[in-house]
Amino acid sequence: MEKTVVPTSGPAVAVTPTPTAPRRKRSALENLLVPLASLRLTVWLFVLSFFLVFAGTLAQTEFSIQQAVDQYFRSFFVWIPWQLFVRFGQIFFGFPTSWSVSGSFPFFGGWLLGSALLVNLLAAHLTRFKLSWQRSGILLIHSGLVVMMLGELVTGLYAIEGRMAIREGESINYVEQFDKLEIAVVDPSGKTEEDVTVVPVKLLQRRGTVTHPDLPFDLELVQFMPNSNEPRKATAEDKNPATAGLGKEEIAVEVPSRSGADPNQRMDIASAYVTIKEKGNGNVLGTWLLSQWYSRPQPIAVGGKTYDVALRSKRTYKPYTIGLIDFKHEVYPGTNKPKNFSSEIRLVDPSRERDRTVKISMNDPLRYRGETFYQASFLEGDIGTVLQVVRNPGWLMPYISCAVVTFGMILHFGLHLLRFLNQRATTAA
Amino acid sequence: MKGFARFLPWCVVGLCALHLVQAMLPERTASDKFNYDAAGRLPVVDGGRVKPLDTFARTNLMLVSSRQTYAQNMDAPKQPAIKWVLEAMTSGNNEESAVAKAEVFRIENDQILSLLELKPRPQWWRYSLAEIGDKIPVLVNEAKRVDRTDPKQRDQFDVRLLDLTQHLQLYVNIAQYRDPMLIAASDGDVNHWMALGQAIEAAQNGQSNPNTRAVAEILLAYKQGKPEEFNRKVADYRDSLEKVYGADLKKTDFEVFFNHFEPFYQCAVLYGLVLVLACLSWIGFSEPLNKAAFWLAGLTVIVHTWALIARMYIQGRPPVTNLYSSAVFIGWGCVLLCLVLERIYRNGLGNAVAGVTGLATLIIAHHLAASGDTLEMMQAVLDTNFWLATHVTIITLGYTATFVAGFLGVAYILMGVANALTRDRIKTLSQMIYGVVCFAMLLSFTGTVLGGIWADQSWGRFWGWDPKENGALMIVIWNALILHARWGGMIKQRGLANLAIAGNMVTGWSYFGTNQLGVGLHAYGFNNTLATGLTIFWGLMGACILIGLLPLGCWRTPDAPAKMPVLTGRKKEVLTTPS
Repeated sequence: MEKTVVPTSGPAVAVTPTPTAPRRKRSALENLLVPLASLRLTVWLFVLSFFLVFAGTLAQTEFSIQQAVDQYFRSFFVWIPWQLFVRFGQIFFGFPTSWSVSGSFPFFGGWLLGSALLVNLLAAHLTRFKLSWQRSGILLIHSGLVVMMLGELVTGLYAIEGRMAIREGESINYVEQFDKLEIAVVDPSGKTEEDVTVVPVKLLQRRGTVTHPDLPFDLELVQFMPNSNEPRKATAEDKNPATAGLGKEEIAVEVPSRSGADPNQRMDIASAYVTIKEKGNGNVLGTWLLSQWYSRPQPIAVGGKTYDVALRSKRTYKPYTIGLIDFKHEVYPGTNKPKNFSSEIRLVDPSRERDRTVKISMNDPLRYRGETFYQASFLEGDIGTVLQVVRNPGWLMPYISCAVVTFGMILHFGLHLLRFLNQRATTAA
Repeated sequence: MKGFARFLPWCVVGLCALHLVQAMLPERTASDKFNYDAAGRLPVVDGGRVKPLDTFARTNLMLVSSRQTYAQNMDAPKQPAIKWVLEAMTSGNNEESAVAKAEVFRIENDQILSLLELKPRPQWWRYSLAEIGDKIPVLVNEAKRVDRTDPKQRDQFDVRLLDLTQHLQLYVNIAQYRDPMLIAASDGDVNHWMALGQAIEAAQNGQSNPNTRAVAEILLAYKQGKPEEFNRKVADYRDSLEKVYGADLKKTDFEVFFNHFEPFYQCAVLYGLVLVLACLSWIGFSEPLNKAAFWLAGLTVIVHTWALIARMYIQGRPPVTNLYSSAVFIGWGCVLLCLVLERIYRNGLGNAVAGVTGLATLIIAHHLAASGDTLEMMQAVLDTNFWLATHVTIITLGYTATFVAGFLGVAYILMGVANALTRDRIKTLSQMIYGVVCFAMLLSFTGTVLGGIWADQSWGRFWGWDPKENGALMIVIWNALILHARWGGMIKQRGLANLAIAGNMVTGWSYFGTNQLGVGLHAYGFNNTLATGLTIFWGLMGACILIGLLPLGCWRTPDAPAKMPVLTGRKKEVLTTPS
C-alpha cells in the first residue's frame, strides 16, 4: 500500500512511480492476489460499507435494533426497503408523512463486506509486504483492525447474553435468556431445584409433538403466541382450546410482537396451548394454557405423580447463587433524573468456597468466572434488580485492537508529520 | 503607512482586550436601588444542583423568551432576568402587575396565535401573561388533546403548543413558590432543600427553619418596594449561609460572574471580527490585517479556553457533557487547529476558517442553550468522569478535525471558482486538508473505539450498532475512504477537497442527524430546529460539492487546468500494481 502513498509535499511525483526492483515474472498466486489487493477495491468496499451502515441505521426506525443487526450486519445479503429512505426524507426534507413506497432492493450484508475487506487487506499485505520504519505504523494499524474484525466475529458467533432478575431478599442460581422460551416440567419430589426436564419451544414448534424418555408425558403444541394479552375470564362465546388447568377459566389472546422502536422497551410475554398425552398409549389428558403471565407453575397429575409445568424463559443453571441484599435507585434532588442505580449482592459459590458481598452499579460491573454482571434495569417499584449477564470470549479483543491501532496511527502520521515539517524547514532555510 | 501597518495588529488586539475587561467589570448599584446582583448570588437548588438564583432566572427566561433579559415590550429598555423572577414571586398572580404585562412568552406559530386570538408581532413575537390570560382554558384543552396523541404523530402546532403550556406552567411554578428550591437546608444536605411553598407548609407543621423566614422577609421587602431593607436582608441571609455553604457560595459567586461576563457571547463577537479581518486581508493590507486576525483569534481563544475551564470548575466535569458543551468545545478545537495551520502556512486561510468555525459553532451553541440549564446533571450512565474525559473528548475532537478539513475543502472550492487559486495555494491547501484528515482519522477512530469500550464496561457489549455508534463509524469509514482514495491516486487535490466537504455532511449526520431518528441509547430527543438546520447545512455543503464537480473550464483559475486532473483516475490504476 505504501508504494502508492502520495508524498505530501509533491503530489505530482506519484504519477510516475520509480521502479525500484527489476521486472520479474508474476507467479500464479500473485496473479490472483494482485487484483484482490487493489486500493481501488478498498475504496469501493468503503463506499459499500458506508452505505450499509447508513441503511442499517435507518432500518432501526422500522425494526428493532436486534433485527436490524441480524439482517444488515450479521448476514451475507440483505433486502433494503425503499421506505427507509422515504422515512429519511420525511424527517429531514419534509416529505409528506403519508408517503409510503413498497419494495426493496438487495445489498451486501455485513459478513460479506467485512470478509471482503479482510481479504483485501491481507492480500495487500501479502503482495506488498516490506518491513520498514515507514511501514511499521500501517502494519500496526491493519493488524489491529484484523483483531477488531475478528473480535466482532467472535462476539457475533459466541457471545451469550442473559439476565438475572432478583427481588430484594431473594437469591437465584440461574441466568435467563428472554429471547428463548422453554416448557419446564419439574418433579417436586426431586432432590434439587435443577431436577427439571425442559422442552425448548422452538423444538416443539418444529416437531408439533415431543416424546422423550425423560418426560413423564408427551407434549403436543396446539397454539403458540409469541406475545399475548394478560389472560382474561373466558366467556361462553370464546372458543377455548383449553380443557384443564387455569386455562379452563381464562383465555389468552395473541397480540402483535413489539418492535424495537417501542419507547418503553417492553418485552413480549408469550403464551401457549399445549395438549398433554399419556406416554405410550396417547390418551389425551387435556389441553392446558401455559403463559409467562403466570408467575407460578401449574400442577399436572400423571400416573399418580404431580408435576409442576410452566412456560418460561430459557434458564441456564450456574454453580453459584446471587442474592440481592439491597437495590438503590438514586435521583438528583428535586428531579426524576436518575443519579445512580446500584445493587448490593451476595455471591455464594460453594465449589470455590466464595461467599462475599459485592456492589454492582452503572459503569461498575462484576466479572466472575468468565461472565460479566452489569446493572441493566430494575423491577417496577424498585423491589428488585435486573442484572445483564454476558459471556463473551472475545471481550478483550477490542481493547487490544484499540491500543494497537491508536499507537500505529500515532506512529504513522507522526512520522509523516515530522518528515513534512523537516522538509518545510529545509526549504524555508 | 509603515508605522500604521506595524501598529494595526496591536491596536486591534488592545482595543478588543479593553472591551473584554470592561465586560468583566461588575455593575454598581446605588444603595437606594434594589441590588439585583446580590439577589442573583443567592443559592438555590434546581435541576439537582446548587446554583445561583441568577442562573435559574436566566435559564428559565431563556426557555420562555429565548433571551437572557426581558423588556415590558419591544421598545422598552432591557431588564435583568433576576428581576423577572423576583417580580413573578412577589406579584406574579396579579394580572394587573407589571410582570404579568411584561411581554416575555415567545409565540411564533401563527396557528397558536390565532387560537389565542393574538395579533402577530413581527420581529418581537413575545406576549404577556395578561394577554394570554383568559384563553388559558382553551390552551389547556388543546394541550390535553396533544398529550393523548402519540408523540410521533404530533405536528408543529402540537409541539409548539405543548412548549407554550410548559412555559406558562414554569412561570406559575415560580409565582406559586414551587420552583426553585429556595430555602437552604440548615444541615447542609442538598437533598433537604425546599421550595418556599413547601417550607411554609413545613413551618406550619412545626418544622421551622430560620432560612424560610429570612427568604420570606426578603420577598416582602421587595414587594413593599423598600430597596434598602431588601439589600440589607439579602446580605444578612447570605452571611448566615456562609458557615454551612461557604464552598457552594464561592462557586455560585463565580457562576454569577461567568453569567455576567457571557464569555461565549464575547467570543462569538470577536470571532466574527477575526473573519472580517481575514476577509479584508484578501483585498489589501494583507500582511498587517492577517497578523491582526491571527493575534485577535489568539486572544479570543484564550477567553474561550478560560470559559471552558470555568464550566469544568462549576460542574466538576470534563468539558463535554451534553450537546451544548460539545458545540462550544468543537468551536474551540476548530479555532485552535486552524491557528496551528496558520502558524505553519501563514497564508490567512487558517484565520478565515477559524473565524467561520468559531462563530458558527458558538451561534449553534446559543440555540442549543435555549433548552435549559447547560450545566445540567448527568444521567446515571453518563456519571463517569473517566469516560467523559476520554471517549467524549476525543470523539468530539474527531468531529472538530473533520469539520476543519471540510471547511478547508469549502475554501478550496470557493477560491477555485473565484479565480483565487494559485499553484502555490492549491498545493498548500491540499496539504492542509490531507494533514487534518489524517488527524481526524486518528481521533475519530480512537474516540469511537473508546466509546465501544465504555459500552462494554457499562452494558456488556462492545458494539451495539446503535444509531450514534453507527454515525461515529461512518465518520471513521469516510476518513479512511478519503485517505485510501488519495493514496491510491483515485483523487487529486480537487477530489480531496470535495470528499472533505462530504465529510462535513457525514459529521453533521453523526452529530445531529442520528439523534433525530428517535431510537437508540443516545437519542436525546427530536428537535425540529436542529433537523431544519441540518438540512440547510447539507444543502450548502452539497452545493459546494456540485460547484466542485463543475468541469474545469468553468473554473476561471488561469493555471489550474494543467495542475488539476479530473476526478476519474483511470490511468493511475497502474500505481496500485507493481510494474
